[in-house]
Amino acid sequence: MINSIKMRILQGDPIVHDVRKNPMSPVYRGFPIISDAKCADNCTACFDICPVKAISLDPVSIDLGKCVYCPECEKICPAEKIHFSQNYIMSATERGSLVIKNGMTEIKPETASEKIRKYFGKSLKLRQVSAGGCSGCELELNAAGNINFDMGRFGIEFTASPRHSDGIVITGPITKNMAKATEICLEAVPNPKIIILNGACAISGGIFQNSTEIDRSFLEKHKIDLYVPGCPPHPLTFVTALLNWLDRK
Amino acid sequence: MTSINVHNNEPVSLSSIKFLDKVTFSQSVKADLASGKRMIGLLPARKNDPSKIIAVLADPSSSLISIAGCDFKNGPLEFESFANEYPHTNFFECELSEDYGFIPLNHPWMRPVRKQNVIFGKTTYEFYRITGEEIHEVAVGPIHAGVIEPGHFRFQCHGELVYNLEINLGYQHRNIEDLIIKSNSVQRLILAESIAGDTVMGNISAHCNAMEGLSGTVPDKRAQIIRFIGEEIERIAMHIGSLSGIATDVGFSLAANSYGRIRTIMINSLALICGSRFGRGLFTYGGVRFDITDNIIKTLKDNLKFVADDILKINKYMFSSVGALSRFETTGKVSSEDAETVGLVGVAGRSCGIRKDTRVDFPYGAYKFIPVSIMTMSSGDVYARAFIRSLEINESFRHILEQLEKLPQGEISSTMKDPAPDSLIISITEGFRGEIVHIACTDSSGGLVQYKIKDPSFNNWYGLSIALRNTAISDFPLCNKSFDLSYAGHDL
Repeated sequence: MINSIKMRILQGDPIVHDVRKNPMSPVYRGFPIISDAKCADNCTACFDICPVKAISLDPVSIDLGKCVYCPECEKICPAEKIHFSQNYIMSATERGSLVIKNGMTEIKPETASEKIRKYFGKSLKLRQVSAGGCSGCELELNAAGNINFDMGRFGIEFTASPRHSDGIVITGPITKNMAKATEICLEAVPNPKIIILNGACAISGGIFQNSTEIDRSFLEKHKIDLYVPGCPPHPLTFVTALLNWLDRK
Repeated sequence: MTSINVHNNEPVSLSSIKFLDKVTFSQSVKADLASGKRMIGLLPARKNDPSKIIAVLADPSSSLISIAGCDFKNGPLEFESFANEYPHTNFFECELSEDYGFIPLNHPWMRPVRKQNVIFGKTTYEFYRITGEEIHEVAVGPIHAGVIEPGHFRFQCHGELVYNLEINLGYQHRNIEDLIIKSNSVQRLILAESIAGDTVMGNISAHCNAMEGLSGTVPDKRAQIIRFIGEEIERIAMHIGSLSGIATDVGFSLAANSYGRIRTIMINSLALICGSRFGRGLFTYGGVRFDITDNIIKTLKDNLKFVADDILKINKYMFSSVGALSRFETTGKVSSEDAETVGLVGVAGRSCGIRKDTRVDFPYGAYKFIPVSIMTMSSGDVYARAFIRSLEINESFRHILEQLEKLPQGEISSTMKDPAPDSLIISITEGFRGEIVHIACTDSSGGLVQYKIKDPSFNNWYGLSIALRNTAISDFPLCNKSFDLSYAGHDL
């Protein structure tokens, strides 16, 4: 008993108190800021080097739904136009809102409908479906419920069965071998239900977008409620995405 | 001499590999297997030419890897299975069959590896079943209760006791090997990092070593030590994660959350170096992208000492709890004979007494001059697999702190030269789970024509099947977490 009390005291106060204001590593690559700096003539360096073709030119823009947050474009730009900031808050309800242009310092938070906020605002139970995820996103989603990030305090939890959940969180590019299972899982969730895509692979296929073994037809059949970009998204990116969407403080 | 010998990360020209006829090849491989070598690869040297395959066998006692080739000369793609005498080769044969259509004659048990229904055509694979009174069959997956990757588990039970567990994977198959062959160098780095998102360092190390070996590029010593530190921090962080999972599955919340807290500090240390909690972006061809400055060294040392102190107490707390020990001891036991026969690697193998560790047997990178000790346990049960992790964590702490004291001056990256044409290289690293093998082969212009990946989980999933025999089905989650294997790494 006394050992348990000592262990509890050893835990200290590990929790992140304000999930919107957590200091990150100085080299953390968060929301990319695209500056006004002029591109060199005929320069396509960032477009050429991007491994997932997330960058468009004229004007320079980055699609966070594809971005794997590697250091390449920031490093190669001769005009130092791109800088990954410390801001880990990024999510969107529309796919198009994930495209970052010059002048944007954040994605304007979009909240869920009044109906969803009323039902799920204080208690959101989610079923996680790994549809080809490499386990990076899965580990970070597990961490979102741990003692440091503790999304349980906001009433957000992962459930064991889709029958007990309010929606699904998909990670991974949706492999052919998981396409049917993902569909069956969504069917098992009672209405009203929501679909969240977590990570570059889920949103766009990410680094696997050209794989012959993925089947993303699921996404053509269903409306997606929330996109959380990252590779993998930091637990706080996921937690703040949900809080902003549900309009929680 | 029918087979040639190479060292880890030593490129060899394809023309020096002897592609023998079937009979001579079979005799050569059997002789190697009989002398104690273990198969780590069975694949066509060129992906688009299945008629010429190579068998790659590793010999830890001499640190040599032998390669024997076989030319099927456009004849039928069949050969006599090695698996009846040497069971650990069986899954390599299943994989060769599934990927290229080979038929291993008299194979004891053909199973699908990643692509459901390929070996068996349009029929579904029939799981091994038992019949009788009070028998029931339990099917779990692909989607499981927790936040974890998918896989299918089929139990044949008599009451609570499991008589046989069959594990059927492939749900995470993304065809990464094909993508690596077709991609450019920036994409390859990210693909290698994403083979198994929890073994970023182990896999990127194997990939970079392979590509650097092919091109004769040697990263500077400072870069090698930074890579070493990244790999060992990953080992510590994931071992702590496994211990946390094991504690969770016996309902030991306080221990589980204590481990969870210190795991966060460890992966945040990795983020301090390169921005990503899993080390993504740290490695690049020729070295590393991020340097460890004096400030980072100071914070790393503080973090490591803090975690080392705490984990001593948390380990003592968990491993002295009678309730936890009664769940761990003798549960999910795998005998040393079975482990040796089936070819378990890494933590699972060492917890059954198999003294094999790539960092010692086939040293690579900084491990060539940093002497890591091999830890083994003998009981092969959940307790052994849990406790051995605590021992390996302490060993890793010791080495990282030692290296942080004396980080050599030097460059963090060197220019990558061009890969040698018509060459083959075997690159083995020790991920936190065990032995990772990347085999790369180039064509006449130095481009990749073959890239084969073997995750330690490829060898070890069968260990879980064995562990569940004569074990209560309610101990399955605990046994599964004690192995803590990768689905994505197996499925590629």
